[in-house]
Amino acid sequence: MLKDITIGQFFPAKSVLHRMDPRMKLLLTLGFICMVFVPKTWAGLALIVVFLAMCVAFSGLPARLIFKSIKPILPLILFTSVINMFYTGSGTLLWSWKFLHIYTGGLSNAAFIALRILCLIAGSSLLTYTTPPTALTDALERLLSPLKVFHFKVHELAMMMTIALRFIPTLVEETDKIMSAQKARGADLESGGLLRRVKAMLPILIPLFVSAFRRAYELATAMECRCYHGGDGRTRMKELHLHCRDFLAVGVCLVYLTALIVLNIFLPHAI
Amino acid sequence: MTVLETRDLCYTYGAGMPFAHAALRGVSVAFEEGRLTAVIGHTGSGKSTLAQHLNGLLKPESGEILLEGKNIWEDPKKIRDVRFKVGMVFQYPEYQLFEDTVEKDIAFGPRNMGLSEEEIAARVKEAAAAVGLSDTLLQKSPFDLSGGEKRRAAIAGVLAMRPRVLVLDEPTAGLDPVGREQMLRQIEQYRETHDATVLLISHSMEDVARLADRVLVLKDGEVAMYDTAPAVFARADELEAMGLTVPSVARVFAALRQRGVPVPADVYTVKKACAVLCDLFEERGVPTC
Repeated sequence: MLKDITIGQFFPAKSVLHRMDPRMKLLLTLGFICMVFVPKTWAGLALIVVFLAMCVAFSGLPARLIFKSIKPILPLILFTSVINMFYTGSGTLLWSWKFLHIYTGGLSNAAFIALRILCLIAGSSLLTYTTPPTALTDALERLLSPLKVFHFKVHELAMMMTIALRFIPTLVEETDKIMSAQKARGADLESGGLLRRVKAMLPILIPLFVSAFRRAYELATAMECRCYHGGDGRTRMKELHLHCRDFLAVGVCLVYLTALIVLNIFLPHAI
Repeated sequence: MTVLETRDLCYTYGAGMPFAHAALRGVSVAFEEGRLTAVIGHTGSGKSTLAQHLNGLLKPESGEILLEGKNIWEDPKKIRDVRFKVGMVFQYPEYQLFEDTVEKDIAFGPRNMGLSEEEIAARVKEAAAAVGLSDTLLQKSPFDLSGGEKRRAAIAGVLAMRPRVLVLDEPTAGLDPVGREQMLRQIEQYRETHDATVLLISHSMEDVARLADRVLVLKDGEVAMYDTAPAVFARADELEAMGLTVPSVARVFAALRQRGVPVPADVYTVKKACAVLCDLFEERGVPTC
């Protein structure tokens, strides 16, 4: 059951998106997140959807995977759009009960925001699906490296993130194993009140923490054995290089952004 | 008498995902009461998956598991009772210890069974003795024990439930030869005193050859062989083709047969090998000690 978690799950393939420079991908994803908030018209939002569909097509990922990343936040989207539905008072009145009123404007507003959040999540999930976690932290380290001037430990931060990401699947697997072992001894994790359930988690949490610390010690020793001493003077086996495709991607994004702004200026706003 | 039986068991990991992997494909086996069955197979052949079905940790995709003739999933609410009857010792069980004393940790299973305090105390004592843990160790924190002691404490935690069927996944992995020998003897002893059925998943053919009445060979989630130990080890070529080793003695004897020495095909323990070779030497007039 825990295996369904998809945080930072990399999906190996050989698409253009996979081969792009991770630094550029990270920046463009940030750009995309901003871009999602640019359109104020339905046409603009449709353009975002088209852009996203194009990215998915280029990434070679099965569409099912994208839907899977959306699934966990569906309740949140539903909640936001329902709240929005009641708070917009434009258009014609459709339904009303005491202090609750629904207007056509509210419905369209709710749909607009829901779609916007969906695009946001789907777009940013593309980054983690097409970039291995190590490449991602590598990119982050490079992008943050100017902060070194202020004695900010960029390399250490990146290394910590790499290790944390690397150990998510390991710990998930470990949790599964410990849960099975305790269930085999009759541990009851599903029934009882809140307090009983919290107590029932102890036989799982304690061994999990113990093993996490053990792993940390082992890893620290292994790193020291290989003479790791932080980021000073450290060279890399794989240097990152910007290619033609990276600049092309920036170009495409700029074209979309311009189109969005133009649509905002010339078409009536949806919200 | 058959105590535990699987019928046409199928299970797929990540069903419906791009990484879907069929771990069990129609496994039908029956385990006789009081027997020790070894389960062998290459990594990923479905041994551990099968084991986790036997006490209801995994729910079969299709097929059924019968414990004492009753489908264990007939009433999903009573699956815990199945887990008390089919004790499961996982690989590296020492990582499941969590209580502040060894005694309390061993008592976790019996306590979940809802036994009385006296009964729990008695069972903890018995289980600790069965795996050779001294009374002084019982009051220690499980995290202060040595690796081998931790392993024994964890196994005691399962034995304290007095399961009728005991499933052990690689209980000797990572132990030194003395610890290994001790562990196997203790498992054998538990079987004798409680007339329990034991399933031993193992990569060590020497262990299997020494203990097993029957051997179940899995290959790609299917039953490749299920027969008495001599019959399985006589098919050494097939086992080796599956990437499994055979006991060293069996290999030596296969080589002898190839060179035309008239030795039987079912020799795979040191004891039997000695007897056979001594007879052969005597026959040919070679002086033996």
